[in-house]
Order: sequence, then structure tokens, then C-alpha cells
Amino acid sequence: MGLYSSFIGRKFKHIAGKKYEDIIKHYREFLLTEEERKIPEIHSILMPLDRYVKNIPTELYETISAYEARILLVYILDSQVFELVRQTLSPEASEEFRRREEIMGEELLNNVAKKLESYGLKIQRRIFFGNKSDDVIRMAENYDMLAISRNYGAEITKTSPLSPLVLKIIQHLEIPVMVY
Amino acid sequence: MTPLEVFALAVFIFTYALIISERIHRTVAAMAGGSLVLLTNVVPWGKVPVYLDLDTILLLAGMMIIVNTTRLSGLFEYIAIKTAKFAKGEPIRVLLLFSVVTALISAFLDNVTTVLLLTPMLIYISRLMEVNPLPFLLSETFASNIGGMATLIGDPPNIMIGSAAGLSFNEFLFNMGPIAFLDLILMIFVVYLAYRKVLKVSKEKKERILRTLDNLDERAAIRDLALFKKSIITIVVVVLFFFVHDRLRIEPAVVALFGASLILFWSRENPEGILEKIEWATLFFFGGLFLIVGSLVETGFIRQMAQWITSHVHAEGDAILVIAWLSALASAVIDNIPFTATMIPLIKAMGMSLNTYPLWWALSLGACLGGNGTAIGASANVVVIGIAEREGIKITFIDFLKIGIIVMILTVGAGVGILWARYVW
Repeated sequence: MGLYSSFIGRKFKHIAGKKYEDIIKHYREFLLTEEERKIPEIHSILMPLDRYVKNIPTELYETISAYEARILLVYILDSQVFELVRQTLSPEASEEFRRREEIMGEELLNNVAKKLESYGLKIQRRIFFGNKSDDVIRMAENYDMLAISRNYGAEITKTSPLSPLVLKIIQHLEIPVMVY
Repeated sequence: MTPLEVFALAVFIFTYALIISERIHRTVAAMAGGSLVLLTNVVPWGKVPVYLDLDTILLLAGMMIIVNTTRLSGLFEYIAIKTAKFAKGEPIRVLLLFSVVTALISAFLDNVTTVLLLTPMLIYISRLMEVNPLPFLLSETFASNIGGMATLIGDPPNIMIGSAAGLSFNEFLFNMGPIAFLDLILMIFVVYLAYRKVLKVSKEKKERILRTLDNLDERAAIRDLALFKKSIITIVVVVLFFFVHDRLRIEPAVVALFGASLILFWSRENPEGILEKIEWATLFFFGGLFLIVGSLVETGFIRQMAQWITSHVHAEGDAILVIAWLSALASAVIDNIPFTATMIPLIKAMGMSLNTYPLWWALSLGACLGGNGTAIGASANVVVIGIAEREGIKITFIDFLKIGIIVMILTVGAGVGILWARYVW
């Protein structure tokens, strides 16, 4: 630091150091930061669904439709649960589990896709076995936004209004996330 | 020179050197110097009330209470957002409006608080416009020093001059107001000329800026609506009292203290919290300085200096020139408060052979506007540069000097011209 800078720094501290901290703290309460001012461009949205996602609010469809983005609806069948059923019950039981889950998944994907298409959006659908949190985190890297239900991956309770899986996913992402 | 004179002069020079170096806090330097002249009895204890200018100290304290209480309401942030909205994302309007608003607020409140409250908003809006913030920050700094010159309460040198010479608020406004007005126009013109190429934004960018500004809610800045209203009323009442204080035969310090007690009484704010925010360091700085300069008066050094000056300067016109330019050059490099404190007894002593009335205005002109010359010339400059540095904007000594010295020469020159026309021709 040069002589001039250190002189200014010292004098500033003497004159206004504490006062400035108070003022800038107040300004931060209502002025947007540079990062907040930048409106993110959303061209693609990832929307994971599963058996716990029951009611999708109309407001979400309306908000998503404002972006005019390409949307991937993904239904992930929990491979760990499938393996657990196969080992503890029987291979037949696990197959039955897979079949029922797939039917439920297809139905949910179709319903949501139909609704989104009615807003004129381009929809892609995928259903596969995998890890409900890790796969979403991996896939989200190629998308501009994530829209996720707070019920995704687990039932929510009064004491835990957000599924732990959703919490984990949000903590690992840098893209904007819409939690509904 | 007597040994006492030498000692008083040595304390004076040593203290001023410490203040200029900023190695230790200026208050500590002034207090140390003040206590030294008291310890050695250069200034006898009985003479302390004579040299300690209570008018200045109490006026400053009263205004500090009013400003610190008003600050809690969010009034200044409200004004900053309103100004930004009025500017409509147009760089020239931002330059013009913020300069005028800064000058107006600085005319009634202290410069440091004014720039502390407006600079964050100015940086925000220049970032929004994606233009170089330098012209806006420079014009704000210059405007603050120019506006402060316009009234008795705008800048500490004016408070000291007003108290020492018994000048009223209206006399200041009548003599320095027109100079400040002309200087403000000159300054904005200089800054515009120097930076006109960067003061442009495209139409698309302007629309985006307007959208962001529209989303800014000035009402969100108001922290306490009741206090907000009470603060405005108190400031208006205080300013009105300042306009008539000489007719009512009330000292300016009494007006400030009345305003301070009014806002404390009415707002029901915790007085301990407000009084803690008084800049005691500044008040003790003034106290120490008054005693050190008092020691020079007491030993007769100031009288001898005045005699020497009046033997060389024979007319008021010459004295105006010398005092205004000497004050401007000195204030460009050292703090104008200790400089003014030294000049006041000198000008008083010159009253033996000269009419000092125009000389007070010359001192005010030089002491207030000299600060625009360099980056370290005034507290407001340091505060703006300090805030800019914290926000990642570098204002070098040369950046400031290039424009500052031109602004200083032009504004002091214009002021001297007006004073000369009024009192010499």
C-alpha cells in the first residue's frame, strides 16, 4: 500500500470509520447488490418430480411460462430402494415395485407436461433409476434454473417444512432455484 | 523573541506537524499541545474561558445532535434516492442534481456527514449507468466544500469566523451565498468539460437504469416515519431561527442548542445514545487548538506578526488578495481548521490599522475552497476517496489534483473578484 493510500485510510478511519459502517449497513437494506441487479437469462429449466410431489401450484406454471425456456421433466426411481426391496423381499417384488413406480412416474410426467404445453412451452421427459439428489445436482449443471417441490424426496412435516434432499440439492447448486 | 514566545511557537509548530502527518489522531495532538501550554502556564488557567471559543464548540455540538438524531430517521438516504430518481439515469443530470443537492445540504449540515450519506448512492447509480464514477465523486466533493462556504453553519472555519468576528447568519449568506452559487456553476462546468466524453449512456441502457431506479423505494429508506417528520420540522425551525438570530439578539450556538434540545425532547430518542454519537474528538480538537493559538496571542507573537503584515499590506484590497490566496494554498495542504484558528487572532490584530470586515470573507473563501485543491485538503475529500477505495474505485492524488487545482483557482479567483468588486471598487 502506497504512502497516499495509507494516509487516506488512516485519516478516513479517524474522521468517519464507524459512522460509515453504520450508513453502508442501512443502505444495504434497500439497495440491490451488483449480483442481485443482474437478471439471469433462463433458457432451460430442470424440474425433478417423484411420488411425493403431489400438488403443483398454478402460480408455478405461470411463472415458468414467463421464461419461454426448454423444460426437462425428470422422474427418478430410487435405485437404492429398488435394491433394498429386491434383497429383503424378492426379485419379483422389486419388479412389481419398479412397474408401479414407472406407471406413477409416467402419469405424473404426462400430467405436468400437458399442463406446461398448454402454456406453449417445449417439454422433454425422462424417467430412470438413480440417486434422487446426486443425479439432480449433476444434471442441473447443464440447466439455467431448477424448479423443485419442497416435498421432493421425502414427506415434509411441521417441524421440517423442507425435504432434507431439497436442502442438500440447493446447497450444491449455483443456479437460481425455485422452490414451490 | 522571549523564551515564552519561542516555547509557544515550538508547541504550535510541533502540534501542527503532528496533525499534518496524521501519525497520531489530530485530537490527541491538539490536546497534548493544549495541555502543554496550560502546564507551563503560558496560558494561565484564568484565561482559558477567553481563548476557548465556547460559541464555536457549542454550535458544533448542537448541530451534531440534530444531525445524528435526524440520521436515525433515514431522511438523508430518502433524499439520496429521490435525487437519483430525478436524475432519470442521465449522467449529466446525475452530475448536476447531486452537485446541487450536496451543496445545499452542506450549506446547513456538516460536509463530512453530507458526503458520507450521499456517496454510497452516487457510487450505486454510477455503477448502474456503467460509467466512470470519478466525475460524479469529484463534483460531489467540490460541491460539498463550495456549499459549506455559503453559510455560517456550513463549514467549521465559518463557525469560527462568525463567532470571532460576531458575524450573523444573514451576513454570511449575503456575502458568501452569491460566491458559492457562482462557484458551483463554474465547478460543474469544469467537471463537465473534463469528463464530457464519459457522461453518456445508450438509450437501451437508460431504459434498464430507469427500470432499476423505479424499483427503488425511497420510503423503504425511512426507518422511523414520526422521527422523519419531526426531523424535517426541527431543521426548518432551526434554519428559520438562524435567519433571525441577529434580530432576536441570540447567538448562533443558542439556536443550535435549542434545536438539539427540541429534537431530543420531541423525538423521545434515548439522549445517551445520541450524545454518544457526538464527535467528541472533534470538539476536543477544537478546544486544544484554541488553547495553542491562545498561547501565541498571550505571548504577543500574533500581535507582532500582525504588525509585520500591516507594515507590508497597506490596503484592504491587498489584504483580501493575500488572505484569500494564502488561505486557499495553505488549506489545500493542511487542515483548514487549525489554519483558520491561527488566522483569526491575526486578522483581529490587523484591525488596528485595517477594516477587517472584508478580510473575514476572504479568510472564509480561501479556507473553505482551498480544500478543493488537493485530495488531502478537506475532510470531505478524504471521506469520498476513502469510501471510493472501499468500493474498489481508485482516485489517485493526481486524478484529484488535475481537476481540483483548476476548480480551486477558478472558484477562489471568482470569489476574490466578487469581494473586490463589493469592498474595494
